[in-house]
This record gives sequence, structure tokens and C-alpha cells, in this order.
Amino acid sequence: MTAHVDLSLAAPLTKARRRRGQHGLRNAAIVLITVVWVLPVLWIMATAFKPPSEAAGLALWFAPTLANLFASFDVPYLLGSRLLNSVLVTAGTLAIAIPVSTAAAYAFSRFRFPGGSAAPLVLLATQFLPPVIIVIPLFVVFRNLGMLDTRLALVIANLSFVVPYATWMIKGFFDALPVDMEEAAQIDGASRLMALWSVVVPVAVPGIATAAIFSFVVSWNEFFYALVLTRDHAITLPVALMSARTEQGDAWEIMATMGLFIIAPMLVISRFVQRYFVAGLVSGAVR
Amino acid sequence: MAAVRLVSVEKRWGDVTGVARQSLEIADGEFMVFLGPSGCGKTTTMRMVAGLEQPSSGEIWIGDRDVTDALPKDRDVAMVFQNYGLYPHLTVGDNIGYPLRIRGHSRDERRAKVLEVARKVELEHLLERRPRDLSGGQRQRVALARAIVRRPQVFLMDEPLSNLDAKLRVSMRAEIRRLQAELRITTIYVTHDQIEAMTLADRIVVMQGGVIQQVGTPAQVYGQPANLFVAGFVGSPPMNLMPAVVQDGRLHVAGQAIGGMPPVGAQGIELVLGIRPEDLLLVPPDEADLHGQVYMFELTGDAVLVTVDIGSSRICVRGDRHVRHAIGDIVGLRLDPQHCHFFDARTQQRLASR
Repeated sequence: MTAHVDLSLAAPLTKARRRRGQHGLRNAAIVLITVVWVLPVLWIMATAFKPPSEAAGLALWFAPTLANLFASFDVPYLLGSRLLNSVLVTAGTLAIAIPVSTAAAYAFSRFRFPGGSAAPLVLLATQFLPPVIIVIPLFVVFRNLGMLDTRLALVIANLSFVVPYATWMIKGFFDALPVDMEEAAQIDGASRLMALWSVVVPVAVPGIATAAIFSFVVSWNEFFYALVLTRDHAITLPVALMSARTEQGDAWEIMATMGLFIIAPMLVISRFVQRYFVAGLVSGAVR
Repeated sequence: MAAVRLVSVEKRWGDVTGVARQSLEIADGEFMVFLGPSGCGKTTTMRMVAGLEQPSSGEIWIGDRDVTDALPKDRDVAMVFQNYGLYPHLTVGDNIGYPLRIRGHSRDERRAKVLEVARKVELEHLLERRPRDLSGGQRQRVALARAIVRRPQVFLMDEPLSNLDAKLRVSMRAEIRRLQAELRITTIYVTHDQIEAMTLADRIVVMQGGVIQQVGTPAQVYGQPANLFVAGFVGSPPMNLMPAVVQDGRLHVAGQAIGGMPPVGAQGIELVLGIRPEDLLLVPPDEADLHGQVYMFELTGDAVLVTVDIGSSRICVRGDRHVRHAIGDIVGLRLDPQHCHFFDARTQQRLASR
């Protein structure tokens, strides 16, 4: 008896099997990467509700408690005032940075003036200096002005790195907008400022929102300047985390509780402004 | 409505001259077309009238007001841009009503005027749409509606039809002409398309290198070009230009002596003879003024275009659509002295026409 193998059928079967294998590998890689990214967040969420005795463990089953939350808001951690500091410093930074950056970006994008092409580069170049060098003169200035350990000092320090980056991000967006639109507005009766406000800004919302999100994230998470420039009254959440490292040991459950408050706005923001962020980042890539 | 007057207006960027010192007067209600190739200064001139460019020197008057230093918003002009310049975040209705909103008109007044002009340009059913949902022709009509909604003193149009397809361009051209005739608003229209210029204009300004070459009615610009540039730029196919010289009392064109044509200019001066393709007649060689060899034969439908080599010159003849010639045929050409144009080869200026 002779065995016949139908090669015309075998080849597609092998291809399909290989494709299934590739799909499996790809899915496994996606799961692995997701776990690596999500696991720390889940760990923080779980630890925040664990009793202190179980905080260092990796147990998945535990009796959840709100004791850590109450302890965090109490002395010595004072989560409430730290949270307020973070909110006010970040809000203050954004309230100044976004209008200033928008105006600066518009000027760099539209006006021709001596040194006009170099100015944005110089602005960006200031960010190439390590913060540890900048913080020393800032410390001296704020100390002489009696502004150490104030929220205003932190807002000013944050502006020094938020404004240059936000200006660059918004400028890129303005560069891609046709000038016709605002010229039309000026001819239709608007002043340049009104044309900027009523025509350019609404169209540039995705770009400005992108810059605002970026500014929020870096300002909310800022640690180094806050560590050096604050001592007691103006301490923000990232620095407050340090207070959970005591002589009795590290209070992981308190750090996790504070961590929850640090990441919560990010999760909320990412839900609502994702579409702006994506639109802002890819704008200009295709027409 | 108002006359527009440019007095010794000049625009320079460092060493680069955009518009050389030029003066021009556009009458009240006139449709003036600025025509010229890219970079000739026509758009810059119009932008100076709009206030979007500041002249380096000179004065600009709209009506009895010197607007040289006035902001665009204070000049009472409206402009239609090449790329429409619509506001993408506003609906069609809000786009049209924007000039009224900025000027503080009430909501009811705005709505009534927007509806009125939208009807005029047949957009009333699209008022709630956004510009991205419209075709090119519809966007252009929105830009037109926005320009006419507040009846400005001057309309400025910067190549408004160049982004439209050929068929739409013809219909929009008629639309613009009809609107301007109805509103009688002084209009400056910039284009490099001579058909647009010829069909729309009361008068045409032909520009080259920032300098006005000729100002005249379409018939004047076409029929009596002021210089070689205008002769070569206006017309499709353009005017044929051949070297000519008067020797021994006879006119020699492209090396061939022509009898029966009174000589122009002094003996020995280098001339250029210009004649339009439709003013040349294909005749049997023994009845011809000039002889040449067919280089190319093209049927355009309503006519034939025969390209003929005469000496070192290559000229184009528009003939009857039934005429047929093969490449390489020897043909004769008769010149109509009434339609011959003579230019000084050195100064490039027009000498006289026959």
C-alpha cells in the first residue's frame, strides 16, 4: 500500500499553525509587559489597605482596613496638608505656565525679531543644565527673599522647567496651523490678541491640552526642588513619602496610601484627556 | 465702496525687493485683477492693501482715508484666501457670522444677515456643518459669504479658485463676477491664470519682478501689449515673437524678407515682431509672406494648432479645425498687418501696431 500526502493541503495547515504560534507569542509578550507595568500599581493599591503587619508581604488575600488612611491624615504624616500643598502648587504652576507658554509659543511661531530663531533654542537649552546646579542659586535667592518653605517658591521653581517645555510643545502646534486663519480673523475685524483667543487657541486646544497634561504630570510628581526648598509648611506629596521612613523602619502601608493619592489624579486625567493627548502628540504627522 | 489708491508704494525685505516703487489707482466699484507669474509681487501688493504687510515706503488710500498705518481690522476690507482661511472649529453659519460677531452685532441681526448671504451663495442648507464636512467649492462659497456679509468697502481675493477643479472653477468664476456686479464693491483679485483675469476684470494690472508692466482693459492688454513680457505672458498659446529688422527699406522677419508691409523703426534697429496664433493664416507657399516647416500638428477640437519652424524661430498658428498637415510639410504663412505688433528688442517696449 502506498501512502499519498496531499502537499497542497499540508502547506496551508503549517502556515496557519505558525500564524497561531506567532499570535500566542505576541499575546504572551503583551500580557508580560502589562503585568510589569500594572503590578506595582496593584501592589500600591493592595498595600494601602493591608494591616501594617502584612504590608511587606505579597499575600493576595487579606482583611482590608482603612486604618492606614486615617493614620496618613494624622500626625506625623499630615497627608491632608501635603495633598493641599501639591494641589495648590500644581494648580498655581499650570495657571501661570499655560497662558505664558501659549503667548510665548505664539510669539516664537509668528513674529520675526532679531534673535527670534535662536531664542526658543536658548529657552530649551536652559533645561539641559542638571537641576542640582540650578537648585543652589534658587535656594539662595529664596532664602534671601524669605520664601523658603513656601508654595510660591515651589510654583516659581516649577515654572522654570515647565514653561520651556510647554512653550516648545505649543510652538510646534502653532507652527502647523495655517496663518491664513488668523489673518482672516484680523481682516474680519479682530485684533491680533482677539484672533489668537477666538481662532488660534480653540483650534490649538489639543496641543495646549497636551502641554497642560505634561505640565501637570511633571509638576505633580516633582520631588527634587520640593525636597530642597521645603522643610515643613510647603511639603508636597512626593516629599511627604519620605516621612514614612522612620527610625522604627519603613511604613510601607503609609507610603502606599500616599502613593494612591499621587497616582489617583493621573488615572482620572488619563481617562478624560487621553484623546487630546493623542491628538496633540500626533498632530502634524499627517495632513 | 471706495476707490483704492497706491502712491509710490514699495515693499522691501532687506536687499530683496518684493514690490518696486509703484503707483496705481483703482476706481470705485471697479473689478481690478492683478495678473503675473509667481513671485511677481501681486499678492504682496494686495496684502499691503489688506494691512497684512506694512509697505516699506509710500501711501495707501481707501476712499478718502490714508490707511497706510491702519490695522487690517480698521480698513473695512474683506478678503478671500487661496486656502479659504475658514475657522475649522466653527460651523458654516458661525464662520459667515464671525465678522458681525466681532463687530458686536446682535444675535438676531447676525442670524438674519447670515441667512441672507447664505441664500445668495446657496449655502442655507449647510449652515450647521463644519468646514471639514464641505467640498472645496462649498468651502469657497463660505469664504465668499463671509466676505460679503458686512458689505466692506473693498474685496480682496487671493487666487480664490486655484484649489478647485477646472469645471468648478468656471462656475465659481461666473459666481464671483455676478456677485461683484450685483454688489458693485471695489475688488482686487490676484491670479496667475490669464483666463480668470480676462473673463473677470474691468481692468488688468500685469506685474513682473515687483513692477507693473501694464494697466488696461482685458482687450487692451491682449490686443496692445505694452512690452514683450505682457505679449509673451498673456494669451494661450502666447503671442509668437520673432526677430525682425528693417534692411534696404524692407522688413526682414526671422531672416525672410516680407513684401507689402510698411517698415517700422529706423534702418538696422533690432526689432521683435509679435503676432498671435489666431492672426496668422496658413496659405499655399506661393501666396505666403513667410515659409516654414511643420514641427508639430495638434487638434484641440475646435481648432488646430500648427507649430512651424521659421529659421531659428518656432511659432504657433491656430487654424481651422478641418485643416490637416503632416510633420515636415512646407507651409506658407500670411501675416495680417493689422495685427502685427512691433517691439524694440533692446528696450522690449512696444513700438507700434499695424
